Amino acid sequence: MNNIDIAATDRSPAVSFDFKNHRLKISGESYPEDVTQFYNPLFQALDGYLTELGDGACRFEFELIYFNSSSAKAIMTLMDKLEDAAGNGASIDVYWMFDEEDDTMAELGEEFGEELENARFHLEKMIVDG
Amino acid sequence: MADDLFAAEEAIVAAAETRLAERRFGCEPDRDAFHNLLSSYKKLFRQTRRLVRISDRNENELNALAEKQRLAAEEIAQKHKELEALSTKLAKYLSPQVYDSIFAGKQEVKLESQRKKLTVFFSDIVDFTETTDRLESEELTQLLNQYLSAMSEVALDYGATVDKYVGDAIMIFFGDPETRGVKEDALACVKMAIAMRERIASLAHIWRDAGIERPLACRIGINTGYCTVGNFGSEDRMDYTIIGGAVNLASRLETEAEAGQILISYETYAQIKDEILCQEVGEVQVKGIAYKIASYRVLGLRDDLDQQSQDISEDLPHFKLSTQPHLMSDDERRTAAAALQKALASLSEPKKEQSGTRPARSQSVKAKRR
Repeated sequence: MNNIDIAATDRSPAVSFDFKNHRLKISGESYPEDVTQFYNPLFQALDGYLTELGDGACRFEFELIYFNSSSAKAIMTLMDKLEDAAGNGASIDVYWMFDEEDDTMAELGEEFGEELENARFHLEKMIVDG
Repeated sequence: MADDLFAAEEAIVAAAETRLAERRFGCEPDRDAFHNLLSSYKKLFRQTRRLVRISDRNENELNALAEKQRLAAEEIAQKHKELEALSTKLAKYLSPQVYDSIFAGKQEVKLESQRKKLTVFFSDIVDFTETTDRLESEELTQLLNQYLSAMSEVALDYGATVDKYVGDAIMIFFGDPETRGVKEDALACVKMAIAMRERIASLAHIWRDAGIERPLACRIGINTGYCTVGNFGSEDRMDYTIIGGAVNLASRLETEAEAGQILISYETYAQIKDEILCQEVGEVQVKGIAYKIASYRVLGLRDDLDQQSQDISEDLPHFKLSTQPHLMSDDERRTAAAALQKALASLSEPKKEQSGTRPARSQSVKAKRR
């Protein structure tokens, strides 16, 4: 399965789905003009990967600075998929990285984490470069 | 607030959970289907609440940012206004050309200079100190400012760069920061000098009212040559000016000029002679320069002088004549020539005694006595 690498733009996040090493990451800001167009290919790729993963292990990182409501729905969908895979036996670790000074993003992470029962949820501060 | 907002949905979930707990379903599949439906509803409900919260938070953040931006824009506008007022004040200490050049980013404010061929102008008022000796300092200030304002106005009309004022003396140059070419710069400078001389004449009555009996006259010296132009001084306090032999020569010519005279060097004369009528003064020995300098006295614009020489004006008790041939049409010329010929013919005839038209004085007196 081919990895996915999408560079960040002003409105969309960077995507790094390293399927071979089982490390997946979405980072940056997310308020694309067409949320469906941006996230649908990611949903499909993730579905395919998680099916192949079986009871394997995967680490998924969210490192977001800002997202709009439509992107929030897309994030919840991603988490549902990860939760379902964990429910089917995969070992899933979801990391929600937040800026130390951004309380809102920490609170949102907590709320999203509450939905996960089978996947392990980690709320961690971002490591700022420099 | 959020609880109130979703009270109806909370009630639906509570009723559904009660129903599920009461186990009043006909069959197990119905119960499972109801359970799944309720779970999905609860999940959607949680997501909806979360999305509403996210949306509200984002909106609050955006509003806060917009307010911050508005305050920043207000502050910037205020600072901009203050800077604009300050730069308007500072601009008065600089020549408009130099100011514009700096503000347009064409010129850097640092200690550097370059050589350029410029036309340099010096003027001062002849015997200014002696003439204004009796004036109070306030009157003198007013008089001087009035004079310098009038001269600056003329200078700016001709695109000059006013270098500095030293008392009643003015130093001006043409060719930097903007140049129209050496010839045009020299021509503009001499035309400006002529215009200044005329302007001073028009100010004479104001000065007379101010108590200066003898009309003020200026002397002007002009030279064209290579100068070093740029910022001189220190990094903290610099002056945009010109230096060099060509500058000194213009200053010396000014000193040599007589009251009301515009004295120019050969270098300037060579640039302007086609349009300006000059009279050769000859070689003069000026202070500080080893060799003799060929100098010329500016008489005026050739066009103006030609027109003035054609104008005829005579105003006698019984004869009035004013002609401006250069302004007349062909028809007007013919009619005027016919009138003059008639007048000439009339004047050529021997003078007749005036009788009958008016009684002689003696006759009139006699009549009254009767």
